[in-house]
Parts: sequence; structure tokens; C-alpha cells
Amino acid sequence: MTALLEVKGLTTKVSGFTILNNLDFSIEANELRVLLGPNGAGKTTLIAMITGQFKPSAGSIHFGGKDITGWAPDDIFQAGISRKFQVPNMYETLSVFDNVMVSLKGRRRVFSALLQRLTPEEGDRIWGILEFVELADKANDSADALSHGERQWLELGMLIASDPKLLLLDEPTTGMTEEGKHKTAELIRKIARTHTVLLVEHDMHVVRQIGQRITVLHQGQTLADGPLAEVLGNDEVRRVYLGKGKFQ
Amino acid sequence: MRPINPLRARGVYRAPLIPSWILIGGAVVVALIGAYPYYGSNAYVLSLLGKFLCFAIFALSIDLIWGFTGILSLGQAVYFGIGAYFVALSLKINYALTHPTRYGGKIPDFMEWNGLTSLPDFMTPLMNVPFAVICALLVPTLLALLFGVITFKRHIYGVYCAVITLAESLILQDFIIEYQAYTGGFNGITDYSNYVGAPFLWFILAVSVVFFVAARALTHSRVGTVLKSIRDNDLRAEFMGYNVANYRIFVFCVSAFMAATAGALYAAWVGIVSFLDAGPVFSIQAVIWTAVGGRGTIIGPFVGAFLVNGAEFFLSGTLAQWWQIIVGGLFIFVVLVLRDGIVGTIAGWVRKRRKGNFRQFIEESDQKAHDRQRDWDPQGAPRAGEEVR
Repeated sequence: MTALLEVKGLTTKVSGFTILNNLDFSIEANELRVLLGPNGAGKTTLIAMITGQFKPSAGSIHFGGKDITGWAPDDIFQAGISRKFQVPNMYETLSVFDNVMVSLKGRRRVFSALLQRLTPEEGDRIWGILEFVELADKANDSADALSHGERQWLELGMLIASDPKLLLLDEPTTGMTEEGKHKTAELIRKIARTHTVLLVEHDMHVVRQIGQRITVLHQGQTLADGPLAEVLGNDEVRRVYLGKGKFQ
Repeated sequence: MRPINPLRARGVYRAPLIPSWILIGGAVVVALIGAYPYYGSNAYVLSLLGKFLCFAIFALSIDLIWGFTGILSLGQAVYFGIGAYFVALSLKINYALTHPTRYGGKIPDFMEWNGLTSLPDFMTPLMNVPFAVICALLVPTLLALLFGVITFKRHIYGVYCAVITLAESLILQDFIIEYQAYTGGFNGITDYSNYVGAPFLWFILAVSVVFFVAARALTHSRVGTVLKSIRDNDLRAEFMGYNVANYRIFVFCVSAFMAATAGALYAAWVGIVSFLDAGPVFSIQAVIWTAVGGRGTIIGPFVGAFLVNGAEFFLSGTLAQWWQIIVGGLFIFVVLVLRDGIVGTIAGWVRKRRKGNFRQFIEESDQKAHDRQRDWDPQGAPRAGEEVR
């Protein structure tokens, strides 16, 4: 079986610093993968590379059999990769409903969008998504009236609306209460039933709750890769995280 | 059978394309302006009405890119000016054919003063007025397209884009002054038969109404929602698969077309065009009208253009030397206090009233602030006693 996303020999250098160092990484379709690593390990950089925000210094990224290295972000999205930012990123003045509507999968060109109307199917889909992320009551509120946690969920909803083949979630639980994190982890597990998900996560409670295959990055390279228990038992991983006390 | 509206069926609030109060209020205003030649006798006021309408269309063009897409242009007068100059040149050339200069030449007087004896070849097509009007509308639009491809495709926007547009209008202004044999230079183009009068006023009025409805339709469409998304968060829109540059270029071209139309109407109406009409000062004035009226609303530019220019008409007689300072102060006031402009602020009040009375509103916002406080936890670490196993 070929991998959905395949990163080969990816190297990123920013003003002399090597952030990603000859990184090999791949995800199978319908997998839920957790990406772990200390600060500066290159997790967010990897996501930025995959989504085309930055161009890699060397190496290649293949997605669904296509070489997407160096593509523009909107083309990579069209290929089927959606990204969630670490800080919630949405359209502040639009209503919650419109935020999801704009994210719906569909034609993105200017002139085809000009006469596009919302079909009943699309309307139902938006309501389904809003109910899924529990924001249906706030559909008419503008996004900047939401609380921090609700913003994170709204952005998750927007990603689902775009119906990608691969979701890249960059620390979706940042800045949430424990309750919120728990709920977010549940949402992600539900999403992962129908989508391929790559989750970057710091919080060990969330990682344990999701408990799937884990890849640990360290200094731009894969340090460990495998099921949760195996990775957490790895001495090397323990050494990298030493002093954080999170694994005890 | 009518298909079920997916929005209304589930209670999504959408402002209608033309709400009834705009329909009624707009009809009254249009009737008041359109009937002025019948009940008013002041030719100066008549000329001002047409002029203000042109200014309002111009301000609307700025609102589309600034208020709805977040592109601040300080050189929008470039498109207004080019439109105006094409029409003025054409009218002037035609006027010269029937009104020979003092020396008997059948070319515009400013050309003769600059030593030309016959109309330059590249200007002869402008003798045809319809052709000149087409040029007046298309050339600025194509220029905007070129500008958009050069800047937006290279991810230049924000302050840099504003500076480039400012430079653009300075260049055009210098160009007009420098090539005075073809443009009239400092004196501008004047003394041609303009179209001031009731029929042309109605024409300008009709164009204003068409642009008003068109702008409203555009901002209410899916493209309009995408434009607002780009204004709010262009990065998110880009990573949602929107080619942000193309949307920016599109709206910039629409806006340039509107500005050019305003300029063409203006030149035909007032009968004088000068380099100032293409310069940065005029551009920035229009930005101020938009800000005062309310950016991000379609009525705002109309209100702003009429209020600021109307106030200038009433006050500049007595406060002539203070007028520019007053306008500057007004802009600072709007930016600091009335961030949404007059229309935006009123719309905000109405929205709040609709949601409930003031007391309710305060309680709601308190609750919201409280929720946010509770939810927002910068460290992301569990507090003491809150650990979840």
C-alpha cells in the first residue's frame, strides 16, 4: 500500500539554522497520527512545508501520488490538504455560519463563485457541521464574539467543511481548559473515523486520550515512531523530554 | 414548487439585497435630487449635486477595495483621473473643431500654446466621442489589472500596496504636468461644451443607482463573502484554497472601472479637469469621505461624500482658511472615535437594539467576557486541583 503523504529527505534551512534535517515521514490513508516533539523540533515547520507556506531547501513531498513540492498554498489545498493553525484563524467579522460556508468544498475561482448560490444540500451540510462542533446555537453570531475554545472548534468545523483528504491539526488544544481539551480530543477522534489526520500535540493527556501511532521529532529528524506505549517507553524519547516530567 | 430556502428554513439571518427602508429612503433621495431642476433655481447647487454624485461613486469604488477587501489605495484618483482626461480631451478636441482658436487653429488651445500646429496622430481617434468613452472606462480597468498582477501576485499588500498606489498617483500627476502639450499641464483642460443640465443629472443619478445595487449585489454574493474573508484573514483564506491574489485583482479592477466611470461623468459634467483630479490629495480626500460615511457599508460612501462635500460648500465661505484643517480633524475624529463611520455606527446601534435592550446587551457582553476569561488559559496548563486523570 502506498502512503497518502510521503515526505522524503526534507531539509529546511533558515538563515543557517537547520530546522528540518533530511526528514523522512509518511502517513497512510485513514490514519490518525500524532506528531510529538519538544519546542523547536520542527513540527510546525513540517506542516508549513507540507502546506506550501515555505519552500523546502531540499527533499520532496508527495501527496496522493503527486509531487506537490513547491506548490502554492491554494493549489495544495485543492489537492486535498487542509490545515489548522495553532492560534485560531478565522474570519472575525463574518458570522459563524458564513465562516463554514466560505470553507465548503467547491469551486474556488472568482468567476465561478460570482453566481454561486448556496444549495439546500450545502445548507444541510453546514448545519450538520455546526451541530457536530456544537456551535449551531451561535450560527448568526460573528466569529469574534466566540470564546477561545469555541474559535478552535469553529476552525475544526471549517476544516471538516472543506472535506480534505488529509487534515493537519497544529496543536488544536492550545489555550483550552482541561474540559475543552477533552472535548476537542473526542472531536478529533470522530473526525479521524472518516479522514486522515496528522495531529501535532504537546499535551500528554490529549495524546493519551487519542492513543494512536506516534511519531516523535527531535532536531528536525524522526526520533521514534510507533504505538503510544512503545514510544513512551523509549529511553531516547525520555532523555529528550527529561525534566519535563510529563511521562511519569 | 418553490425550493426551500436553506437559510431561512433554519433561521440564518441574511440582510435582503435591498431592504425596504433603503428602497423607500433611496427612492426619496433619488426623487429629491432628480427633481431639483424643477423646484430649485440655483445653477450652482445643481452643478454641485452632479459633482457630489460623481464623488460618491468614486468613494464607493474605494469602499469596495478598502472597506470590503482591506486594500487601502491612496492613488485611486489615478483611475478617476484617466477616465476624466479621456473624456475631457475628446470633448475639447471636438469643441476646437467648431470653435477655432485666436490664431485660427482647429486644435485645442493648450496644444497651440505649446507649439503644436495639428492634432497629434495618436490623438485623432479621440475625435470619436464613444470611442473616447470606451477608452475612459477600459484603459483604467486594464491598468488596474496590470497593477494587480504586478503587486498582488507577488504578495504585496497592506502598507506597501498603499505606498505604491500613492506613488502611482504622484507619477501620473507629474506626467500630466510634464506633457502639457497633450494634457493641458497645470491649467488642465477647460473651455469645452460640458453636459451640465437636468438630463445629464438624471444620467449620473441612474449610474449611481446601478452602481449602488451592483455593489450591494457583489458584496452579498459568495464572492463578496470571500472578499470579506480575505479582509479578515487572508492567510486563512489562502490555506482554504482561495487564490487570494486573483480575488484582489478582480475587486481592484471592478473598483477601477467604477472610479473611471465617476471620472468620465465628472469631466462631462463640470467641464474642467486638472492634474489635481488625478493626484494623491484627491485620492486621500475620497478615502476620508469613505471613512466618515462608513467603510464596509454601501451607503456609507454616499453619505460621506455628500456630508463632507456639502459641509465644505456651507462652511468654506466663512471658514475658508480652516477648511482643510477641519477635514483633517474630522478624519482623526472618525479614526479614533467613530471607527465604523457614521453609517456603520448607526447600523451597530440598530443591531444592538434588535438583539434586545441595552441592559440585556450589557449582561450578555459581561457573560461573554467572563466565558472568554475562563476559557482562555495561555499556559494551557491545568490549574491546581483541576487535573484530569
